[in-house]
Amino acid sequence: MAETLVIDKTSLLSVLSAAAETPGLMAPTRRGRASFAFDRITDCRQVALEYVRTVLPPKNAFLPTREALLEFALEPEQQARAVIDSTPVVLFGVHPCDLSALEQLDWAFLDRHDISDPHYAARRRAVTIVGIDCMPDDYCFCTSVGTETMRGGADLFLTPLTEGYQVEVLTAKGRALLGEAPLRDATPEERAAGDAWRQAKADRITRRINTQADALPDILERRHDSPIWAETARRCYSCGTCTTVCPTCFCFDVDDAMEPSLSGGSRKRRWDSCQFLDFALVAGPHNFRGERPDRVRHRWFRKFAYLNREYGRPFCTGCGRCTQACTTDIDLTGVLNEVIAEDGREAP
Amino acid sequence: MAATPGQRAAAREQLYVPRMGTIVRTEDITAVDRLFGIELPGRRPLHHAPGQFVQLSIFGFGEAPISVCSPPSQTESFELCVRKVGSLTTALHALGEGDRVGIRGPFGNGFAIECMPKMDVLIVAGGIGLVPLRSLIKDIQDHREEHGRLIVLYGAKSPGEVLFARELARWGARRKNEVLVTVDEPADGWNGHVGVVTTLIPKVRIDPPNTVVVSLVGPPVMYKFVYMALMEIGVPDDQMFFSLERRMKCGLGKCGHCQIDGRCVCTDGPVFSATELKTMHEGI
Repeated sequence: MAETLVIDKTSLLSVLSAAAETPGLMAPTRRGRASFAFDRITDCRQVALEYVRTVLPPKNAFLPTREALLEFALEPEQQARAVIDSTPVVLFGVHPCDLSALEQLDWAFLDRHDISDPHYAARRRAVTIVGIDCMPDDYCFCTSVGTETMRGGADLFLTPLTEGYQVEVLTAKGRALLGEAPLRDATPEERAAGDAWRQAKADRITRRINTQADALPDILERRHDSPIWAETARRCYSCGTCTTVCPTCFCFDVDDAMEPSLSGGSRKRRWDSCQFLDFALVAGPHNFRGERPDRVRHRWFRKFAYLNREYGRPFCTGCGRCTQACTTDIDLTGVLNEVIAEDGREAP
Repeated sequence: MAATPGQRAAAREQLYVPRMGTIVRTEDITAVDRLFGIELPGRRPLHHAPGQFVQLSIFGFGEAPISVCSPPSQTESFELCVRKVGSLTTALHALGEGDRVGIRGPFGNGFAIECMPKMDVLIVAGGIGLVPLRSLIKDIQDHREEHGRLIVLYGAKSPGEVLFARELARWGARRKNEVLVTVDEPADGWNGHVGVVTTLIPKVRIDPPNTVVVSLVGPPVMYKFVYMALMEIGVPDDQMFFSLERRMKCGLGKCGHCQIDGRCVCTDGPVFSATELKTMHEGI
């Protein structure tokens, strides 16, 4: 059981101010009227302590949209060296769904196929993560995928109280971040208030996946040839917004960029999307997902069938970003529930 | 000597960094296909198995998966046969002896037919699909007593596109071997078989329960025809292996490009049995 303490808001802001100086702070901050983004913070008054979701997930702290994997020189002779960034930073304000996503990215980059990606690993080790609990909106469905109380990967976790925050100290790194900040044990009333927050959060969620997560792989396999994929694809532009805003999407492309002097350059990795036409293109040319319904179906299968089976949970955290961001209002849970309903009508 | 933690950490950092190989010989195979002999630093062996591939890179042009076409017994250097089709392969064709290329790998599972000893091996290849199978054919020659008959059925588009013609003739002349070549579009002077590679299947004696099939053909729809023809004569699904082609960016099961359903071709493949392929929607 994690140590449960209480910190007042002023002390918390002092901790953040100190972190902003050393080692550096990344936190949600307001952009425009109602949007939020994880960004580098120099003044802790810019930190949004309450927000529903950021447009992009915090994954680019570990998997930047574009990063050099290696630098190469062509002269005097060809050689290359790995670019490993292990600059420490404090990542503050990560909601439970996004903590779940980091745990899932850890599996994908550090454990899957027993191969550990050194670039992801170095950044991951260098980051101290402070989670914070949230109040959902109509797009959230974390309770359907079991992420609403996730703490995975966090070093500290905060739950807002009327005065101050309940602090769960989850690692030694988290304890060290708190430094000399004045902390006290939570009173029974404050513990109850934390429980009440979590209950209120769960009660507020109205969006649901209408079946158990572990039933989804079989349902989807049975509905592989459902007309729902083509119907959904008719509204899809293959713009890749859904995969870009997804906290668990991790597909990437790699290409070389030359220095203007042509004496060397770097090999770069950037986020890619299975929704793009050329993603599964091979020589010939032959495209294994050349039709849009194939790509649309792949997204639901990847999240709720393939990786759900391999990892043991859906590769979806219920954050609601893809549905909110979709330019043609394609609704992730809506489509999934149509598939579930069709299966209920037609399955033997 | 065991690696120190520091050495192990350094090795991990090198996951995406290629070793610099040196091109030690080239040979034109057709007008567009060229064989490259590549030596790793210190003439270290690649330690590959037939059917595995490397990620070949030229800095500034990028990286691509290329099948190894030499047998494991050839250790001082290894061979890649590359068709000039895109920017990377065009850049490779511009290189010659002494030039350096990046090599990562080997990757993939390989054909792994040694688990079926003494069986006849039927190889069905189309076009440049012969390239990785050449590694297997040569490996079978190296361990000839461990296998039954070797039957190679090879189809190319035209006589000018037949790869390794002299080697095919040499393999066919050996005891316990049979090699048939066909072309889709015969040219003047061609007096061999005409038609797609599956038309060769009835021309050879196949003992289905005692035959392991290894196939690499194209375009992808050809796999279905090869499978159907061999399934009809009774070759069991778990004795048929197909090597698939996908675009890959990492070779490490991370980038997502080579996914077939839930599998990664780079780590779970590129060789899949017909039993496995039948459970996959996007395989062939």
